[in-house]
Amino acid sequence: MRITLTVNGTRHRLDVEPRRTLADALREDLGLTGTHLGCEHGVCGACTVLVDAEPARACLMFAVQADGSTVRTVEGLAAPDGTLDPLQEAFSTCHGLQCGACTPGMLMTATHLLEVEPAPDRERIRAEMAGHICRCTGYMGIVDAVESAARAVRAPS
Amino acid sequence: MTAVEPQPVGEHRPATGTAVRRKEDTRLLTGRGRYVSDLVLPRMRHVTFVRSPIAHARLSAIDTTAALATEGVHTVFTGEHPAMRAVSLRARSALPGYVETDQPPLARGKVRFAGEAVAAVVADDRYLAEDGAEGVDVDYEPLAPTVCAWAVPTDPVHDEAPDNLLLSRTFRAGDAADALAQADVVVERELTTNRHGGNPIECRAGVARFDGADRRLTFWSGTQVPHLVRTQLAELLELPEGDVRVIAPDVGGGFGVKSVLYPEDVALCLMAIATPDTALKWVEDRVEHLLAATHARDHRYVLRAGFAADGELLAVTADVWCNTGAYSVYPWTAGIEPLMAGGLLTGPYKLSHYEATVRGVATNTSPSGPYRGVARPSTVFAMEALMDSGARALRMDPIALRRRNLILPADIPYKMPSRLVDDSGAYEACLDRAVEVFDVERWRAEQARRREAGERPIGIGVGIYNELTGLGRAASAGPRMPFRTGHDACTVRVNPDGRVTVFSGVTSQGQGLETTMAQVVADALGVAYDDVTVRYGDTDESLWGFGAFSSRQAVIGGGAAQLAGTDVRDKVLALAGALREVDVSDLDLRGGQVYVRGQEKPVIALAEVARVAYLQSDRLPEGFEPGLEGTKFYDPVRGAFAAGVQIAALEFDPVTGGTTILSWVCVEDAGTIVHPVIVDGQIAGAIAQGIGGAMYEHLVYDDVGNLTTGTLLDYLMPTAGEIPELTIDHVSTPAANPTGARGVGEGGTLAPNAVVAGALADALGVEVDDLPVTPARIWALLHGGADR
Repeated sequence: MRITLTVNGTRHRLDVEPRRTLADALREDLGLTGTHLGCEHGVCGACTVLVDAEPARACLMFAVQADGSTVRTVEGLAAPDGTLDPLQEAFSTCHGLQCGACTPGMLMTATHLLEVEPAPDRERIRAEMAGHICRCTGYMGIVDAVESAARAVRAPS
Repeated sequence: MTAVEPQPVGEHRPATGTAVRRKEDTRLLTGRGRYVSDLVLPRMRHVTFVRSPIAHARLSAIDTTAALATEGVHTVFTGEHPAMRAVSLRARSALPGYVETDQPPLARGKVRFAGEAVAAVVADDRYLAEDGAEGVDVDYEPLAPTVCAWAVPTDPVHDEAPDNLLLSRTFRAGDAADALAQADVVVERELTTNRHGGNPIECRAGVARFDGADRRLTFWSGTQVPHLVRTQLAELLELPEGDVRVIAPDVGGGFGVKSVLYPEDVALCLMAIATPDTALKWVEDRVEHLLAATHARDHRYVLRAGFAADGELLAVTADVWCNTGAYSVYPWTAGIEPLMAGGLLTGPYKLSHYEATVRGVATNTSPSGPYRGVARPSTVFAMEALMDSGARALRMDPIALRRRNLILPADIPYKMPSRLVDDSGAYEACLDRAVEVFDVERWRAEQARRREAGERPIGIGVGIYNELTGLGRAASAGPRMPFRTGHDACTVRVNPDGRVTVFSGVTSQGQGLETTMAQVVADALGVAYDDVTVRYGDTDESLWGFGAFSSRQAVIGGGAAQLAGTDVRDKVLALAGALREVDVSDLDLRGGQVYVRGQEKPVIALAEVARVAYLQSDRLPEGFEPGLEGTKFYDPVRGAFAAGVQIAALEFDPVTGGTTILSWVCVEDAGTIVHPVIVDGQIAGAIAQGIGGAMYEHLVYDDVGNLTTGTLLDYLMPTAGEIPELTIDHVSTPAANPTGARGVGEGGTLAPNAVVAGALADALGVEVDDLPVTPARIWALLHGGADR
């Protein structure tokens, strides 16, 4: 089936089988391997991308379901010159990542959270990020990072 | 061109001890990581394994006709394929009585666990390979499966071991029976710990390509042990080792699960050799991972401990069964868990009379392998359960009883009853600090207040442990295997521009070793952290490293990096001295500049020294060879014990069985800390996995060997909703090795079982004997009845 996806601001026309997941279309067809697959059954959250500004598990969504949609992935977060966005910067500063496998999904959910709620408290951040499994950090660095990025976004220096 | 702005004296700040920006972060945060799962090669084909749905059966026939007729399918391999037939993984050990058994790359003759690979389908993409897998028709003749390691088998897993016993060993010190008879108080416990596993977010993955003309194999693998894999592949595939290259690029977590060479890895390489010049890719999904990647911690402990009236621990006896699953894990053997259990059971406590018989028992379940902490989360639970029971029997404070028996600095080096030598002695210092940071008195008062007020009960749990890290040749990990894992190598190369490339034998699955090695070399050599680049994980680049296990890399890989950096520093200073006609002993290298001690201006830049070394042989003084690099091995010979204490307060809801963690404190002795944030991240992540194992994670087989927790909806890993804010603190006793570091990778996992179980008993007065401590289990303990 022919579909059109706008990914990180670029329009792509793809011809995909109906059974092809959005995750595989992003990773295999568009080469955007920043979106990771951790479980392929919608639990771990590693493959989370923003589809029309809402978080979605790219492993549970068929590419054809995203036809006509705007998709944002981890590759679209940094500025074109490579400058990290405040969340990415905070994840590094606060050690919110170790192996990096869960990180893209964490970043996309956190991006969505800060877009809809600029000042979440730690408990709120924990609740929102609880749809993701990180096996490395013990989560404190991730919560710290989201909290710190929220502050940075609210008061840009 | 070589002119570099001279830096004032004192400008160079040591990288060690500071939280420098991790070199890994930019690529991992921008989606530019290089994981095996991401790798694409021209005309690459994809592999799906067909897995047995039956735990124990004879394989009679495999019909691949329909699979081969599937669109996009190129080949189907089975265990009887000529490429597979002659190859077996055989984990070897010289331990007396160890029964060696074979593990085929694809099942031959019979299947021994549900999930074992029986065939492999090669197709144009993974969807088509999975289509093909559905067309593989296998005839199974079921045999009686054994699931429990302390059950008597009907049909043994391996003919070589009719009783399923692959290994048994008795550790003995003093006379435990006599000492028990003399004891004022004897406590008995019978415990089981829950089978669970590492579950890194990136599952196993491999790409294999065999260049037919050169007969060279390249294997990209998410492995923790690339050099070991190279050696093993060369042996198994009968290739010259120099013609095997193993590359572990970015790896999405390991935790021990990826320190195993799996039959799927070997099958993938054998298939690549059978189809030269075609890259084959296998990426495991989570369901396969839960089924067939190694599990751990399925143990049973029957224990007795004797105490004197004053609390002195007099004797411990233990009977231990470790479920090793269907195969003796390659290359670590079925001994990995039982021997660790028997060797470390007594933990940080002084003890003269000890008798422990440990067994590795084969069953029709997924093989057990190394998982972060190897056996010790179970043994610390066992030992601390004895301490808690002992304290109740003696009517002593549980912390005071522990303190009464700790190995103290004055006892160091302390020969444990298993004859391992403990060089730590920092247990009491860690305990003092933990008691202070946690504020035991405040929580005891709160506990009393709640009891008085009839509010939800809380309990305080304690776990004290020794983490055996950085094992050298005399204490080497593993049971007398044909290799000793005591050393690593590191090469430090100053490039012609004066910047530095490190070729380290370490590997990283998230531990930030790229950063840590750069810090160590920057300081040893005398250059800025930003001027150091680290290469690792590629056997064609780095000389040698055993890889990531036993919390060894900061100690051993770091030691090699320190020695290699110092070696190159000496070479730089020698050449600088000769070029500037200054006595070498007066020279110092800091921030990439060579100074005469006491002078403010540098005499020559490292970049100029390097330029001479590579590009201006006309300026090379007499006796100097071109080039500027050094390679060193390091072996700590023994190891670095690392002390740790965790104390927590947990609230329990007797109505629902629910548990809330109110406070969790961990104090560890990490020795000299190279990167404080990375170290705390290791500890926090380890505690989180320990809490997962203590409260949530359980791989459950039914009686006929079906895994009933085969998805992440059934196998529960903790999230940010379950893991509390953790308080991590340190005492620091530098270890006697080049960096002073003690390993920190595993320690955090060791205590949570003990802490959670101890807190439950402290709160509600019920002893929990079986893990995990789930709401159902708590409810059943309080109200009676079945717990699941």
